Amino acid sequence: MASELRAVHYVNQFFAGLGGEAAAGTPVQVRREPVGAGRALAAALGAHARIVATVIAGDNYFSDERERARAAVRDALRELAPDVVIAGPAFEAGRYGIACAEVCRIAGAEGIPAVTAMHPGAPGVLMYRREVLIVPTSASAADMPAALGALARLAVKVGRREPLGPADVEGYLPRGLRKSGERAEPGSKRALDMLEAKLAGRPYASEVPYVAPEVVPPAPPLRDLARAQIALVTTGGLVPKGNPDGQTSGNAKRYFRYPIAQLETLRPGEWEAYHVGYFTHLVDRNPNYVLPLGYMRELEKAGVIGALHPWAYTLPGVSTPVAAARRLGEGIAAQLRDARVGGCLLVST
Amino acid sequence: MRLELGSFPVRDARFGTRTRWADGVLEIDRAAVLAAVRRDPLVSTVELEIARPGESVRIWPVRDVVEPRVKAQGPGVVYPGWFGRSIETVGRGRTHRLAGLGVPEVSSVNWHDAGGDFVDQYIDMSGPWAALIPQSRLVNVCCVVEPEPALAVQTKNEVVHRATLTVADQLAAVVRDLTPPDVEVFELPPAAASLPGVVYIQCVHSPQAMSHSEHTFCTGTYGLTRLAPPWLLHPNEILDGALSGPYRTMFATSWAVVNNPVLLELYRRHGRSLRFLGVIVFRTEWTTQDEKDLMAEQAGKLAAMLGAQGAVVTWDAGGNEFIEVVHAVRACERLGIKTVFLTSEDSAEGGAPSMLKPVPEADAIVTTGFFNTSLLELGRVPPVERVIGYRRKSAGDAVDATIAGGEAVETAGAIAPPWRYDDHYGFNRLSTFAH
Repeated sequence: MASELRAVHYVNQFFAGLGGEAAAGTPVQVRREPVGAGRALAAALGAHARIVATVIAGDNYFSDERERARAAVRDALRELAPDVVIAGPAFEAGRYGIACAEVCRIAGAEGIPAVTAMHPGAPGVLMYRREVLIVPTSASAADMPAALGALARLAVKVGRREPLGPADVEGYLPRGLRKSGERAEPGSKRALDMLEAKLAGRPYASEVPYVAPEVVPPAPPLRDLARAQIALVTTGGLVPKGNPDGQTSGNAKRYFRYPIAQLETLRPGEWEAYHVGYFTHLVDRNPNYVLPLGYMRELEKAGVIGALHPWAYTLPGVSTPVAAARRLGEGIAAQLRDARVGGCLLVST
Repeated sequence: MRLELGSFPVRDARFGTRTRWADGVLEIDRAAVLAAVRRDPLVSTVELEIARPGESVRIWPVRDVVEPRVKAQGPGVVYPGWFGRSIETVGRGRTHRLAGLGVPEVSSVNWHDAGGDFVDQYIDMSGPWAALIPQSRLVNVCCVVEPEPALAVQTKNEVVHRATLTVADQLAAVVRDLTPPDVEVFELPPAAASLPGVVYIQCVHSPQAMSHSEHTFCTGTYGLTRLAPPWLLHPNEILDGALSGPYRTMFATSWAVVNNPVLLELYRRHGRSLRFLGVIVFRTEWTTQDEKDLMAEQAGKLAAMLGAQGAVVTWDAGGNEFIEVVHAVRACERLGIKTVFLTSEDSAEGGAPSMLKPVPEADAIVTTGFFNTSLLELGRVPPVERVIGYRRKSAGDAVDATIAGGEAVETAGAIAPPWRYDDHYGFNRLSTFAH
């Protein structure tokens, strides 16, 4: 049998039994025993874990004296060196939920597994669900027994550093991670079972819940185009003829930039498109199709734009996961910003 | 439309003096089959090789896998419409099949010559990649074929696939007049009106825009691969190969389409828990937003006109096409048709949506896991003792996901799996989970 884990429990003034709003300014304190709600938690942990200490802070103190409170919690955890930190449950509480999540983050930074519990709509969830293991609870503390049971079970699991299964199996809120694994039935059968459930009005769980895509706010308009340095960027997979840098035709890991300061236009035969997603012959015949250098030079000479940036950036914008696309885009944007580029013409395909 | 499908199980295949099937063993007169292929003067070289499940064999590269089928009774020919084969409507009478046998199409010929869209799929007969690929569990009679090099790429594709179909025809012909050990009847008799009507919207990619040709080889409907408004097919037509030919993964091959478990499962539930109304074959990779939305709207309208209360949507492709596919899901839902979307997923790194364009109406998704094999933690696939096809990478000089750095590699060695997995039709249990 696994040895008994040493747990530290975090609670606020209310659940420690110190009082309500009047005691919300209570500074961080440590008691070497289960306190308040911690006594029921200790029962739920049973022989698997023992609460060796309770860290208590008032909700106002933790939010108003944020840095001091965090430092005190960190120092306490370093001294106590527990196997696991358990915070809450905080249910629907705003300040308390945020404090619980932040205590878990501090523990995580110290290499100590941690888990908390609160209502899925609580601010602590909205702010920290990607970083912190959170057991969902109902809105009300009347749900305390069920919440403690789920919290204790997960605390023992992470305290033992056992691998964690999927969110719905283990009973925590998804952290935005997706991992590969097998289900009991093949996809074809699951699809028709789900359809029959949906048609009959029976409950079913989509295996890919809706995640709203990130919205990128556009940069403010250029104040004076005639004085701005403009850069050319293309996701059309343009490479020098022969692809000397070994760019991929999709799912790019790198972007490349090529000097165009000495060029008036892109000449066919010197460039080609390497891209798995469109009819590249068009660009092979006229590379300006995805990098309109010739036209931009005309605008430059006419004084419509201030100057053309001496480097052109290219990559194939195809079959690229969002995170990789973001990394590539941020890299290009940072280089353009450092070169004081004011605006950019990004040609996609 | 009634189709009897007679199955002749194949446990093993071997070369012999005449082509015949008996007690699960297929004997093949290699010279006779090759002679049939060589009747096409545009074939430069052709060989037949056998690979069995469990062997240390890699088949490289694989363009398609065809299941040998033959019409024993009824109009038309199997895999109709390809390169002059009859276009008469199929799906009636009796069809015989060699169950458990595949004819992989092995050739260096690429789909088309635009961009870096190279043939990059292979079959291992054992090991971790084989565990994920249904065709690895087949006895595979490989057609290794090269066309005359002076031909245009489109004609090369025709020569190569015609050779594969010729091999399949030669093998299936020997069971045409035999009595099958197993017969399954496929028809859609009237079912209780109280059961919900369900359509299957099967999205298949068209490479027309990508290649600027209406004839580029790919999964075809009666041999047509061009962009066209949605087709309505009886599922029996599909069982006779009216929708066949490959796309870029082992799950979008002729074999996978006639053995599609979504189609078969819908059929088996007809009259029991649903009414299977038919298959809307939806061509994808339109180019403008208006075209994509028009086709999605029309697919939804067609489903509604068929009286559908429910729909299953599958697809076979990568990115661009996702828009019209997921908009077809949305169009159905907006018409009140309850829809399930069966799909693979992209990486969710950084909390990003794993769907290229998430839409709130797609509220019933079944996932067959990450399509990008680098997320499946397979590492490198172990070396094999024997390669059927090419001992070195043969598909162009691409720097693709298989060959890092652009150097040719020994295909018998430890190599990366093909970069796409993509179980379009839900053959496997692999999936993803929220953590």
